[in-house]
Amino acid sequence: MTKRAARLFFFISTLVSALIFTILTIDSHRQFPKLTNAAAIDARVIAGKHVWHRENCTNCHTLLGEGAYYAPDLTKITAQRGAPYLREFLKDPSRFYSEARDGRLMPTLKLTDQEIDDVIAFLGWVSRVDTQGWPPRPILVKGSAVPGVATALGVPPEAAASQDPVELGRVVYNATPPGCAACHSVAPGVNIVGPTLAGIPATAAARIASPDYRGKARDAAGYIRESIVEPNAHVLVGPTYAAGGRSLMPGDYGETLKAEQIDQIVAYLLTLR
Amino acid sequence: MRYHSQRVAYPYFVVALLLFGLQMVFGLLSAAKYLGPDPLMGLLPFDVTKAIHTNLLLVWLLTAFMGAAYYLVPEESRVELHSVRLAYVQLAIWTAMGVTAVVGYVFRWTAGNKLLEQPFPLKVVIVIVMLMFLYNLGMTIRAGGRLTTTEGVLVGGLACTALLYLPALFEFDNYTVSVFYRWWTVHLWVEGVWEMIQGGLLAFLLIRLSGVDREVLEKWLYVIVGLTFISGILGTAHHYYWIGVPRYWLPIGGFFSALEPLVFLGMAMYAYYAIRRSGFAHPNRMALHWTIGSAIFSALGAGLLGLAHTWPAVNKWTHGTLITPMHGHMAFFGAYVMIVLGMITYALPGLTGRSEDSRETSANFWSFWLQISGMFGMTMAFAAAGITQTYLERILGLGYLDTQLKLQVHFLMLVVTGILFTAGVALFLWDFFFLAGRPVAVPEREGPAPARSPAV
Repeated sequence: MTKRAARLFFFISTLVSALIFTILTIDSHRQFPKLTNAAAIDARVIAGKHVWHRENCTNCHTLLGEGAYYAPDLTKITAQRGAPYLREFLKDPSRFYSEARDGRLMPTLKLTDQEIDDVIAFLGWVSRVDTQGWPPRPILVKGSAVPGVATALGVPPEAAASQDPVELGRVVYNATPPGCAACHSVAPGVNIVGPTLAGIPATAAARIASPDYRGKARDAAGYIRESIVEPNAHVLVGPTYAAGGRSLMPGDYGETLKAEQIDQIVAYLLTLR
Repeated sequence: MRYHSQRVAYPYFVVALLLFGLQMVFGLLSAAKYLGPDPLMGLLPFDVTKAIHTNLLLVWLLTAFMGAAYYLVPEESRVELHSVRLAYVQLAIWTAMGVTAVVGYVFRWTAGNKLLEQPFPLKVVIVIVMLMFLYNLGMTIRAGGRLTTTEGVLVGGLACTALLYLPALFEFDNYTVSVFYRWWTVHLWVEGVWEMIQGGLLAFLLIRLSGVDREVLEKWLYVIVGLTFISGILGTAHHYYWIGVPRYWLPIGGFFSALEPLVFLGMAMYAYYAIRRSGFAHPNRMALHWTIGSAIFSALGAGLLGLAHTWPAVNKWTHGTLITPMHGHMAFFGAYVMIVLGMITYALPGLTGRSEDSRETSANFWSFWLQISGMFGMTMAFAAAGITQTYLERILGLGYLDTQLKLQVHFLMLVVTGILFTAGVALFLWDFFFLAGRPVAVPEREGPAPARSPAV
């Protein structure tokens, strides 16, 4: 090869690559509105994005897997934790985590209530971006998806074939959304954010029998169902369970989950004896 | 050194190396925070030390690139620099910008965009400085009437660096779109046009240090740069996989970024070929160490370790874990830090009027080996931590915080090897500031400078 040929190789390959790249970029712009749900980007999401940048969040956390590796990924955090929890967390992270126990603690950012709502709206929008199936399994902040490791998206092949409501319930429980496993472990004594659900049938029966019980359930199955669709029916006292007498669990599972999914989760949880 | 004006390279190297030293302080601080607890959380939280650590890297490398270009261009174009005064003014503004940025980060003045944290007014200053720089180089080359391939590739890389910074000036409401264009700057810098700069400097150093025929080296330089863009431009897609883009970016990113190691393999072969022809004949053996080291370490860090997690099916699990800094640290060190230290070591005897073998001090020698071992150890620590994190957190589903607690021993290794590396950097600075001497006014020499290389 002569130097002239080498130069030609350089110019042509660079030009062709840049051309293909440009065409694909233009096509991506055509598809961004649908893939990123761009119609949902309102003033609050934009204001939340400014909070995200101004507070330099990306230099500890990752979002869409990008950023720094010192704090958990936040791509699906709103689907896992829900707004009531995130609001309380952002007001005072030290209420939920401690350096002594968890090794890391997020500084308190002194955000206003408006800014907190904005950044949650922004993160909520991000959680609905089409990430081509990433992350393949939920990335939890704390606790463990084991036992009951399941795929995040959809139903694994073996469970799809199964008609067993308990098995289907286990899959829904471990999927994100609804993200039950992100806050409730099924291991005895492991309270992640919400209380552990190990032994929940017996615990539920004991709670109903207690004079403090405020809800309407009459048996363990009814209690579990009530806790899912109406978390405030009977609020437990615990360091990270509630604020101002209100449960920190998302209150909209009655609408976001199908009736049969709730049946399945109840069936599954009843097996955790 | 043949031209008076080449001396402006010296203050650029001074600023670059001081910032390099400061970068180590913030790197060690950040690493120590992984061990926790963090007594400095109220004063200098992780996000601040990490942003300063990475920003100092970019600023000091660019400062050194500028110094290297001011040294190289007059020699290649055989003419004095267009304006020495402009070069000094440029350095003053640039340094003021860098210092303002670092102090600003401490007081939380930031754009909060990874690696492009510079607030908008500082971004404008960066663009202005780059224009001053390119104008000065352009006028010099025009006055000399001679543009070699080596300097053409170097200056082309620097010009594209300025051009590709422009997308960073825009803001998009759609976060996905903003990440998409952030990579036009960040990826196309470090896996595109900066490789042109590395290639140009490598070619210059190999021509001078080995005396191999310029025509042959410059021919292969074109091939290497061509491969860089074939793999690098469409390889941008390996940053796009999971951010909300169409699915076709996955196979494209996988295929083209898998070609990226070819570039670094090419550079390593290039260096091997040159050295096989001439051996270690050049008296500035430390410059040879750094130059060959750059070719080898970039093949390992940027080539091999990049390949390790670039394929979509792998990246799906490793994306956003400590696997990324494993690759990032060794890649930046091999491709850019070592070539710059090679350039500084090569230029020093000429700048200070000492003999060619004067750089063979034990400080420089130990600096080389401590930096190599420290960086190798840090890479291994990040690799062990990253693989464990991927397995526990991403595959088994253990929570992030619980996983991090299980990585403590690797973070301890990171701090220990980081200290080794910093000791190496400290020795380089010691050698540069206290042993190498100060720049001297040299008498103008006519014709080629025979002392500078065995055969040109």
